[in-house]
Amino acid sequence: MKVWKRTGIVALAVIVTGAARMPVEHRLTAEMRAAGLMPATLDISTRERIGQTSAAVALGGLRTLVATFLNLRAFGFFTEQRWSNVDETYRLIVDLAPRTRYYWETASWHQAYNAAAYYQNQSALPALRRREAWRSSIVRGLEILDQGISNMPDAWPLHVQRGFLLRDPNKIRAFGDPEASFLAAAESYARAAEIEGAPEYARRFQFYTLARVSGREAEALALGRELHAESTAHHAPTLLSVLFALEMWENPEADAKALAIDLFGTEERAVEQLGLYWQRVRERFPTHGVARALEALYDARGTPASERIINQPPPRIYDPEEAFAPGPPQHD
Amino acid sequence: MNEPQAARATHIGRTLVIASNTFTQLVRMKVFYFLAVFGVIAIASNFFDMPQHTGPEAIGANVLRSIKSWSLGAMTLFSVVLAVVATALLLPKDVEDRTLYTILAKPVPRLDYLAGKLLGVLALIFVSLLAMDILMTAVLHIRTQIVLDQQMTLAAAMGYTEEARESLRAETLAQGPNWSLQAAVLAVFLRAAVIAAVAMLVSTFSTSTLFTAVISFLIYFIGHFQADLRSAWLAGGADGEGWIARGVSLLVSLILPDFQLFNVVDAVIEGQLVSIAVMAKLIGVGLFYVIFYTLCSWLIFAEKEF
Repeated sequence: MKVWKRTGIVALAVIVTGAARMPVEHRLTAEMRAAGLMPATLDISTRERIGQTSAAVALGGLRTLVATFLNLRAFGFFTEQRWSNVDETYRLIVDLAPRTRYYWETASWHQAYNAAAYYQNQSALPALRRREAWRSSIVRGLEILDQGISNMPDAWPLHVQRGFLLRDPNKIRAFGDPEASFLAAAESYARAAEIEGAPEYARRFQFYTLARVSGREAEALALGRELHAESTAHHAPTLLSVLFALEMWENPEADAKALAIDLFGTEERAVEQLGLYWQRVRERFPTHGVARALEALYDARGTPASERIINQPPPRIYDPEEAFAPGPPQHD
Repeated sequence: MNEPQAARATHIGRTLVIASNTFTQLVRMKVFYFLAVFGVIAIASNFFDMPQHTGPEAIGANVLRSIKSWSLGAMTLFSVVLAVVATALLLPKDVEDRTLYTILAKPVPRLDYLAGKLLGVLALIFVSLLAMDILMTAVLHIRTQIVLDQQMTLAAAMGYTEEARESLRAETLAQGPNWSLQAAVLAVFLRAAVIAAVAMLVSTFSTSTLFTAVISFLIYFIGHFQADLRSAWLAGGADGEGWIARGVSLLVSLILPDFQLFNVVDAVIEGQLVSIAVMAKLIGVGLFYVIFYTLCSWLIFAEKEF
């Protein structure tokens, strides 16, 4: 057989089998994409930003390897406190490996915590600019978590991290209305708790945050009672203290001392835990009946007035806003 | 033994002898030295455990991924380079050494010769991947145990319940050595096998080793876009592509293999599980490509004059 004839047969065979395998491969690709086994197409802007060499490697089926290298580069930027570079690098990393929870968490942590703390203490900048940089870093950290959650809705740690960020007393002012933040945090914890494998503390934190939202006290109280009745593992001091305050909110005429002893088990434990709870003013927990219970407990124990926590000025608490006052940064 | 069975046994026997000789020939080229490099990579990847945010979930979360990412990345690179370069070298080297004339002067069908050569290369890739897989699995297993111990200690100190600790343990073990990781290594082998078969087809009409290697690498890279081009063709110009773009999409989709199908490595590193059904389909697709390109190579090589 002539060479051209053989080559023709091969070309024809390639085209015919190509046409035959096209629908099969298309179905298999769709199946693998649905199962999360095949990455989505890398968009052009990502290809341009990672550079020619890395793009070639990424297109050759090694996206996670490129993401690993970029993570090393981001760590270098972090040590040099080049926050915009850190953010830009993590944008690339999560484009390359959108289903790696670690990258979303780390990207958010760098912006919301490390960059925010840096700007808070950066005395070289005017106070107004520092405050804006601090605020926008925290908001960017939240935005990263939101993007991560939309990519990995079943990753409970992302929901929990979102809750932690939204209710953090050092960050909450960056989000505007604190009550709206607490409500958003409660919703994050609730979503985390619905996911299989989520730790039980997610529901406790949902309770703690919901209790701080005006108008949602009844809902929070129902959840607190449910958790308290469910298991002694939930009987953390904070849960007992918040539950006490909400019970007193519902029934202000109740015997505060009796309720406190009933919840905490002993008079000594009640006075100790409620005293500590009373001092957590910056966390904005409800304090209905706490002062009354403490007074009654102190009276019963014969504690001198000078030693009563409720008679002492609230502890000096560092307020992040102080850092933005004119002059050098202040620390506690 | 009846006549057809005897003939078949002879075919297989001849192919295996050529495969065995090819394997020995490639081993003598000292290709296994790269395993030392891989060993360094697998061990070095252990040291990229960077300080991160607090909590037991964060301990070692990066290092296990780093070991898999570096190891599977190195496996992919080594296997593809071995597949292309070793296959591209085979025919020219046999011509240069005049071994080809000695073999073809005997009653050895050219299909047996080509199949034997390809099998020899695939055996080399398989043994190499097996060695790398054993090393990666061992390193990953040891490191997973270390990470688990650290996580459980911190989780216990932080008052995690038994249920929460079990959940954390399951999540960490999913990042360790498991079936999906082995499936990813098998997918790496399948991809290398397909590109080796493609390189062999190119080498049957190519006039130089360099040409074969360059064209094969180009096919490898373009093959990763095949799924996108196929989608563009099947979309029927819905995204506004012109007829030239659609024609090119169709041509590439028809001619080139879809290498993206075998790219489950990224998903496995990200913790996805590969089902046996998907793996069986990938093996089927891989076998189809290897057999088809070998037959095409034979059609061109069958009456080639030397």
